Amino acid sequence: MNVSRRSFLKASGITLAAFASGLGFDVAAAKAQGYALKLEGCTKITSICHFCSGGCGMLLHIKDGKLIHLEGDPDNPINEGGLCPKAASLQQVAYSPDRPKQPMYRAPGAKDWQYISWDEAIERIAKKTKEIREATFTKTEEITNAQTGAKETVTVNRAEGIAVIGSAEIDNEECYLLTKFARLIGTPFHEHQARI
Amino acid sequence: MSPSFGRGAMTNSWQDMQNSEVFLIAGSNCAECHPIAWKWINRARLKGAKVIVVDPRFTRTASKADIFAQIRPGTDIAYLGAIIKYIIDNKLYDDYYVKTFTNALYKINKDFKFEDGMFSGFNSETKKYSYSTWSYQLDANNNPIKADSLDDPDCAFTKLKEHFSRYTFELAEQITGIPAAKIKEIAEVFCSRRPGNILYALGMTQHTTAVQGIRCYAIIQLLLGNMGKAGGGIQALRGEPNVQGSTDMANLNANLPGYIPYPTNAEKTLQHFAAKHGTAQYRPMVAILKAWFGQNATAANDYGYDWLPKNNPANMPTQTQFFGQMEKGQFKLLFNFGSNSTVSIPDRKIVARGLSKLDMLVVTDIFETETAQFWREPGMKPEDIQTEVIFLPAAFVYEKAGTMTNSSRLIQWKEAALKPLNESLPDLDIIDLIFKKIRELYAGSTDPKDNAILKANWDYGKHADPYKVLEEINGYNDNTGKLISSLAEYLNAPIGTVSTGCWIYAGVTGSGNLANQRNNSDPTGLGLNKDYAYAWPGNIRVLYNRASCDANGQPVDEKRKLIWWDAAQGVWTGYDGPDVVDKTKGPDTPEGKVAFKQTPEGVGRLFTASYTSGVPVAATVELPVPTRSAGMTVDGPLPEFYEPIESPTANILHPNVQNNPCAKIISTEFGSPEEYPHVLTTYGVVEHFCAGAITRNIPWLNEIMPEPFAEISKSLAKKIGVKEGDKVEVSSARGKLTVRAIVTDRLQPYKVNGKEVETIGMPWSWGFASLSPGPSTNNVTMAAIDPGAGTPEYKCCLVNIRRA
Amino acid sequence: MTTRKMVFVDTSLCTGCKGCSVACKAWNELPAEKTKLIYGYISQDSTTPTTWTYMSYHEKYENGKMHFLMMKHQCYHCGDPACMKACPVGAISQTDSGYVLINQDKCIGCGYCVANCPWGIPKTDETKNKTYKCTGCIDRVENGLKPACVSTCQPGALQFGDREAMLQTAKARLEEVKKSYPKANLYGENLMGGTTYVYLLLDEPEVYGLPANPTVPSSLTFWKDIIQPYGGWLIPLAGAAAIGSFFSTRLINAASSKSKGGKTHGH
Repeated sequence: MNVSRRSFLKASGITLAAFASGLGFDVAAAKAQGYALKLEGCTKITSICHFCSGGCGMLLHIKDGKLIHLEGDPDNPINEGGLCPKAASLQQVAYSPDRPKQPMYRAPGAKDWQYISWDEAIERIAKKTKEIREATFTKTEEITNAQTGAKETVTVNRAEGIAVIGSAEIDNEECYLLTKFARLIGTPFHEHQARI
Repeated sequence: MSPSFGRGAMTNSWQDMQNSEVFLIAGSNCAECHPIAWKWINRARLKGAKVIVVDPRFTRTASKADIFAQIRPGTDIAYLGAIIKYIIDNKLYDDYYVKTFTNALYKINKDFKFEDGMFSGFNSETKKYSYSTWSYQLDANNNPIKADSLDDPDCAFTKLKEHFSRYTFELAEQITGIPAAKIKEIAEVFCSRRPGNILYALGMTQHTTAVQGIRCYAIIQLLLGNMGKAGGGIQALRGEPNVQGSTDMANLNANLPGYIPYPTNAEKTLQHFAAKHGTAQYRPMVAILKAWFGQNATAANDYGYDWLPKNNPANMPTQTQFFGQMEKGQFKLLFNFGSNSTVSIPDRKIVARGLSKLDMLVVTDIFETETAQFWREPGMKPEDIQTEVIFLPAAFVYEKAGTMTNSSRLIQWKEAALKPLNESLPDLDIIDLIFKKIRELYAGSTDPKDNAILKANWDYGKHADPYKVLEEINGYNDNTGKLISSLAEYLNAPIGTVSTGCWIYAGVTGSGNLANQRNNSDPTGLGLNKDYAYAWPGNIRVLYNRASCDANGQPVDEKRKLIWWDAAQGVWTGYDGPDVVDKTKGPDTPEGKVAFKQTPEGVGRLFTASYTSGVPVAATVELPVPTRSAGMTVDGPLPEFYEPIESPTANILHPNVQNNPCAKIISTEFGSPEEYPHVLTTYGVVEHFCAGAITRNIPWLNEIMPEPFAEISKSLAKKIGVKEGDKVEVSSARGKLTVRAIVTDRLQPYKVNGKEVETIGMPWSWGFASLSPGPSTNNVTMAAIDPGAGTPEYKCCLVNIRRA
Repeated sequence: MTTRKMVFVDTSLCTGCKGCSVACKAWNELPAEKTKLIYGYISQDSTTPTTWTYMSYHEKYENGKMHFLMMKHQCYHCGDPACMKACPVGAISQTDSGYVLINQDKCIGCGYCVANCPWGIPKTDETKNKTYKCTGCIDRVENGLKPACVSTCQPGALQFGDREAMLQTAKARLEEVKKSYPKANLYGENLMGGTTYVYLLLDEPEVYGLPANPTVPSSLTFWKDIIQPYGGWLIPLAGAAAIGSFFSTRLINAASSKSKGGKTHGH
């Protein structure tokens, strides 16, 4: 129906016609309409909320690889299907047009990004890591022995110029691998927002 | 918590909150920041539990409290000290518990002193304490000497009693602004109902007295006998989805995964490391070196210990201090995974100054964070900033498989539900790709410094497989060639025969993927859900649960029984995994009495003494290896109240020692109470999360909380001529910002040392980018950090406010 | 015959997290609206065509004690729905389970239901000429799921079940809550023929900005209960007089519903 409300109010002829055709209640209308559940035919996959440390279970309903709906996982005994507003909103991240689509590079002094390929991004990062590591590496340093007071030279194998900020928002396996990565390339300067 | 109990983790679980009789929620606005807590707190309330909330503001959490007290930010130790004094004076402590499960009877070194706000052993040059006098009187076998009664003048209990004798309700009122009668009411209600539960979060940790505030909780819960019990404990509500896991995995400068102390240049060999930290740390150190270097780690080469970079204790910056090191030129390259420092660091101008000096900044995140585009914040001159920036789009939580560990140590596995959007990749792949490319660049090097890169055990498949990584974390047994099946297998194996990437997770994949267990049944009705996922350590759901039993090993609370000694079978058993030294050692044996096995003494520590167990009396080797050394509180063995770095008043306990003498101050600009008379406290809201990098890009959340604000009392609004909705400028010595004013009765002026003070509240989740940009509250906050935890004092600084 | 359902809104357990607001949007695929803070934490103070539930907060400071009250608002799904009576095209119907629904195929967006709802809940999208409101998640409920708001509620402030059983729960809870909040009351048990969303309020309805005694406008009663049963033939006879009175009722109610159900802050 394409009649604006105001024109409807003015045109009593239309009003009466509409009234006439619409009289009477139909208590069975709801049933008759049928209430197909949009979740029918969906695969259910559980996940875990990305916000506070509750570990609430989320249930993603997926059809043809596409997220149809996200809500609390009723079988997770922590949240029993409940979700706070932040968790309940998470389906808006899945296809957000605001997520960067590919790696981006900002050149020195540049005012904007340019898109680059993953290969180029990884190549640039690895080369820079080697360059800084070589330029700032401390193999040994002198310490004072706390017991004897004597000066000693000890091996420290430290890349002074590289720092790593990790994350409390990524998975355990990722946190672990990042710790391992940082130490293997020689930096003990590894922190994250646990302290913040 | 670690110095008090041996483990630094939330002791019970979310579901266990339904078992509590009373809650003290202080330093946590959990209705907003941990909404899941209220599912379970409400279940306890429906059974009659009482809720006490102490907060600088009347929050949405406070709206459900039976008792609410508005406190001046940063003064918790004063009223908690008064509660400790009340418990001791009125003998409300659990006498058996205190004598059996704490170090109350242990005799303290006679040279230990506390005078004029300072503990013995302070070095004013280094701003550090020596622990030598914070020790026990030891017998010939290196065991602490125990007193016969709690009245012994040398015992830890007496030290505690003397220390807190100054903390009267009236003194606490003068410091905190909470009426003395209200503090007394809180003490009465909390002590009269057991088990009592304490919940805290960043409201307690974001102070320069963070650790000592939590120590007060530990002391209260030990005195009342609330530790190790269903419905009791201390719940450190961690702030992020996997902050327990990221801490377990040591994204921190002073640890390796599993809380192994990170070696410094003083531990020049593995033997030196063992001598310093004991077998308790030597065992996991060897296991992780084997995990990292595989076949290349052998006893002959110290398992590759040399290849690990060693810390220089003189230069161990925390995240807040990183940016200063960039500005000074130390750091040239920063890898930044999932962290938005440009919004989240206090006195945040230090961040852009640091990032501007880098050669390269690598950011991986879901959205384009403020940190990734720091160079184009309004006011910056991009043309002058030479930093190369690479942004790598990361897959979101449900686009990748893996585990996260929630606040109650529960490791939950998830499968990838969706493909990563566009070209984004899981962080795991990103780290894997970068490392493999670096290794390629170093191929063929014979320089010993490159051994770590070339000899590392690193093969997770063409596309890194998170389950392979989890198996490495779980660990392998050389003798069987198989995955370690349980924590016990790791602990009982000879050192050097097992590997594990994080020993506290040993067993998680040992008999299938236990993190993926999905049996949610709860036959006890206590919310243990033992067969749902897997909790470290050893699937124990209530830590220290040995303390829930009496001298005969039987539950003291039949309604809430967790474990017990089965005399017929000669074994500790129960609904929960028994947190005991040895399941076959009965309650009449020394081992069977230990409730806090991760401390060197085996007891909860009212007084955090310096102590190392198992020191050989007559050393036959040059570097004797002890068993376990105590976790320490660096700023004192007992909590003491100190004023925040910026405070509206003098410290009335000891005017000459205003602040925590060990606090590390990074900010360089400070305001006086004359110029900046009001106290600012900062926080999150339920509708947004932390630095807002994700939530400010979610339209539904921007709809329900569209902008930042400053909450002020009606009296302050009147003073500055502001009404609801007006714009106000909030300024400190460090910066300023303009936001909307919320004028509310939920904040009230209060009296501190006779002077009227106002608190201003501001959420901090906004920044210049995203769908919902807004000014950042960290323009004004104070960068000063707790000496033990490294947490900045976000929760209090001095500001002024005017109509904008 | 389906039994009548009920959602028990226990505001003594609600923490005002707005989880229900977002879950409603997510399930019903409603877009976010651009908002600003209106007062306190409130960015929405009425329903809209695309916001079917929202949270209000009410501050009351008395004798040194703060009361920070909060409740969610949505269609009450009345037992005796004024909107249904007002609808001139029969687009509004009621299910056996108690839900009051707008059939979008029939709705012409005239706004009579908007004007006659004592809480001003339905809202007309002027561009689409359709009126929208909470459906009670009928598609979930009819398929054995709880409504999205109930399902997501972390603090357990929303409970869903058969009306009789829910009322028993609500009354038992009221007895308990009255010990701490003497003015606590059940709101909706008998209003408008008994509503489907029944609230345990901690204070008088007016404190929440609610009408204490919402009623069906008398002209509407006349229209639906007396005139309409005679059937369609009477309408042409009723002619301009009846329709005219209808229009004036609508306008008066449109003005007053704002103050009754619309602006709820500022207490």
